[in-house]
Amino acid sequence: MKMKPSRFFLILSLFISLWPSLSHSATLKFVDEVGRKVAVPFPPKKIVSLAPNITEVLFRLGLDREIVGVSIHCNFPEKARRKIQVGSYINLDFEKITFLKPDLVIATGTGNTRNMVERLEKLGFPTYVIFPKNFDGILQSIDHLGRVVNREKEAEAIIQEMKRRRQRVIERTLGLPRPKVFLQIGEFPIVTVGKGSFGDNLIDLAGGENIARNEKKMYPRLGKEEILKRSPEVILISSMNPKGDYQRLLQEWSRWKMIPAVRDGRIHMIDSDLIDRPSPRIIDGLEKIAKVLHPEEFKK
Amino acid sequence: MKILTWKKVIIVSTLLSSLLILVILFSVTVGSVKVRPSRSITILLQSILGLKGGGTETEQAIILSLRFPRALLAGLVGAGLSVSGAIFQALLKNPLADPYILGVSSGAAVGAIVAILMGLSTLSLGLPLASFMGALLTILAVFYFGRQEGKIHPNTLLLAGVIIGSFLSALIMFFISVSQKEELHTIIFWLMGDFSFSNYQTIRIIFPYILLSFLFLYSRARQLNLILSGEENALQLGVNVENLRLISYLSASLLTAASVSVCGLIGFVGLIVPHSVRLIFGPDHRLLIPCSALVGASFLIASDTFARTLLAPIELPVGVITAAFGGPFFIYLLKTRKVVKTL
Amino acid sequence: MIEVQSISFRYHKAWVLQDISFQVGKGEFIGLIGPNGSGKTTLLKILYRLLSPQQGEILFDHVPLKRMGRTDIAKKVAVVAQETHLLFPFSVMEIVLTGRSPYLGHLMFEREKDLEIAKKAMEWTEILPFAERPIDELSGGERKRVFIARALAQEPEVILLDEPTANLDIHHQIDFLNLILTLNREKGLTIIMASHDMNIASEFCDRLLLLQKGKIYKIGIPEEVITQTNIEQVYGCEVWVDQHPVSGMPRISLLKKGVQ
Repeated sequence: MKMKPSRFFLILSLFISLWPSLSHSATLKFVDEVGRKVAVPFPPKKIVSLAPNITEVLFRLGLDREIVGVSIHCNFPEKARRKIQVGSYINLDFEKITFLKPDLVIATGTGNTRNMVERLEKLGFPTYVIFPKNFDGILQSIDHLGRVVNREKEAEAIIQEMKRRRQRVIERTLGLPRPKVFLQIGEFPIVTVGKGSFGDNLIDLAGGENIARNEKKMYPRLGKEEILKRSPEVILISSMNPKGDYQRLLQEWSRWKMIPAVRDGRIHMIDSDLIDRPSPRIIDGLEKIAKVLHPEEFKK
Repeated sequence: MKILTWKKVIIVSTLLSSLLILVILFSVTVGSVKVRPSRSITILLQSILGLKGGGTETEQAIILSLRFPRALLAGLVGAGLSVSGAIFQALLKNPLADPYILGVSSGAAVGAIVAILMGLSTLSLGLPLASFMGALLTILAVFYFGRQEGKIHPNTLLLAGVIIGSFLSALIMFFISVSQKEELHTIIFWLMGDFSFSNYQTIRIIFPYILLSFLFLYSRARQLNLILSGEENALQLGVNVENLRLISYLSASLLTAASVSVCGLIGFVGLIVPHSVRLIFGPDHRLLIPCSALVGASFLIASDTFARTLLAPIELPVGVITAAFGGPFFIYLLKTRKVVKTL
Repeated sequence: MIEVQSISFRYHKAWVLQDISFQVGKGEFIGLIGPNGSGKTTLLKILYRLLSPQQGEILFDHVPLKRMGRTDIAKKVAVVAQETHLLFPFSVMEIVLTGRSPYLGHLMFEREKDLEIAKKAMEWTEILPFAERPIDELSGGERKRVFIARALAQEPEVILLDEPTANLDIHHQIDFLNLILTLNREKGLTIIMASHDMNIASEFCDRLLLLQKGKIYKIGIPEEVITQTNIEQVYGCEVWVDQHPVSGMPRISLLKKGVQ
């Protein structure tokens, strides 16, 4: 039967207007890690990440084309650097986001602001917030994100691997003496990691004792006198530039030879992205710390 | 007949110096780590006398490498800011003047921020040097724009200083808004003022500046009394007012620049110490200058000691203590004596 | 002892003083009179070199003023001018002592000798009992005497006075002027006084200089200067000029308009 042209066009335009919603099979409702209800067009095809840890997780889950926007801090993996940047932790280019028209925006409670998330909501962009607080929290976030972006199998694989490697570290350090550790973040002022921070969690898992573990602030500032008093046996320095600053920082510490860590030469730099970023690579950070705290054990 | 003689100046200075020494000793014995006071003092004295010290290595490090240089630097800066404040009050004939009023501190801040943003190590000499450069440029700029018909005039100087200071503050805000998280933390930390990085090297470097400026200014103390009563009066008594203003401006600015570049912006000291000293010892600069220096030094050392021990092991910014203690004390002085009779 | 030779001065474009020439002998008491803006105060400022004339010269005992150092001028000329607010109150003694400044040079503290001179100056002006009091506790008349004492402490040859009786009650005015007169007669100090009160100038001064718009209108003894014609010319108003009933010096009285 020959169709009249007008009817043909009617059906075509109907089809075209329904296409976007047809290509999404559904809108799924999720509850994010801060208790917000988020309705996500499922599966999300255009995702914006507002923090580097989120970006790392997304890429590890196998996404690439779906990631249409990242933050200016997203530096891993290499591919992430070539994505469109939509802002910093606290400053968002809402025009860009509007232009990108994402199906899903993912934010983290460990960096982005509530104000930002509320604004995104008001503009009608579904925003999912993760809030990992320790190693287990990171595993949970990977699991949740896997569900939201339709990559549950991949998420499960990552989690299992991270659990396995963590278990190995725990087993190998079991029973070994726990050295006193000072993790230094920042020089001016010197800030360390207290209760509830990732660094503290990692040191504990790696079989060490964080000299600041009883400080209530997450990132307390300790005076040099205190550090002297607590005589750390290992000093870990979290740095954005591990290769560059080492000599200089060594020199700075060398004046304080009464500290065991300085006397024994146990001062190590660690890439801050591995220990302060709640991403899959945190297990790399854990392993590195364990190696440094128990060199004899891990030489084998 | 009571007039100011050099004998009186010596006596009062000696008394205040004794107070200063007591404050230094107090500062050296107090800290977040408990060291017996007798031990602390012994270590200090032995070191000064060149004897082999007692006490553990840690204790020696704490006393000689942390507490003592910190006290010395705080003392130097306290003296510098107080004298500078007193001079600016006379120069601008304005009791509200403080060392930062002519924008020198903003210039120092811009210098420091530029150094931080360029990635200069905060612990090298690069930072204080850049800060000092910033301060010097500001001093020259204010001097250049603050002149009227080739002469320094208090009101135009003030205006130039305030305007240039505002411009520099805007620059500071700009830098803050474009800096990354880590740099931001460092910048704000510097701006709040801090002595936790005091070391003998820095002290050795700024000590000559502070001493020279102090000596220059003290040699002009008698003439400074005269310019308080007005330019015409001073001129007719034989004072070269233009020369005096120039030297005072440059010396006081240099004092401020040296102080701020090593420890950031610490407020209140330069304003309330000269006023408090004036209320107790009178406005004669021959007594005011040395007393402000000694009282300022004691005040800042004491404030810094409290800042690092009140909430140990957390260290408070020293500016919080100077304001918290200095403010109420000054209000007390205001209520019991008169600050300024005629304005 | 003072020779003023053809000085002219201006701040910006307009000449404030034009071609002023006169001489002052040692021990004379000269009065500068004239309307506001005629240049009295400017002339005084030039006499102690606060301002420098663009044209002409001033000689002090045949030495050009512009070649004299500031301290040298201060040792010869003392000024009692309008009071500026003191920012922080000094004591009477301290203020009088500052008069010794030109003699102290680089010295930081005053010597015994300076103390003695200051004391004598305070005795002379009868303010010694106030020596320790802060100056802002004194009355207007007492304050003026403090500044005269300071001027005396400078051991000058010349004292310049700028509107010294402004804001003083008559008893203070009389005290002050008699004090000045005694200084002039007993110590032989040369006095140059700028005043807008012509009757006072007439009573106390040896000679008067009448200025109009920066030029000398008349110079001479009061009888020559204060005449009906001169006053009407310079001030542009009608006045009554007669003789002071006690001293015989010319005296100006105001007239209401339309009465004659």
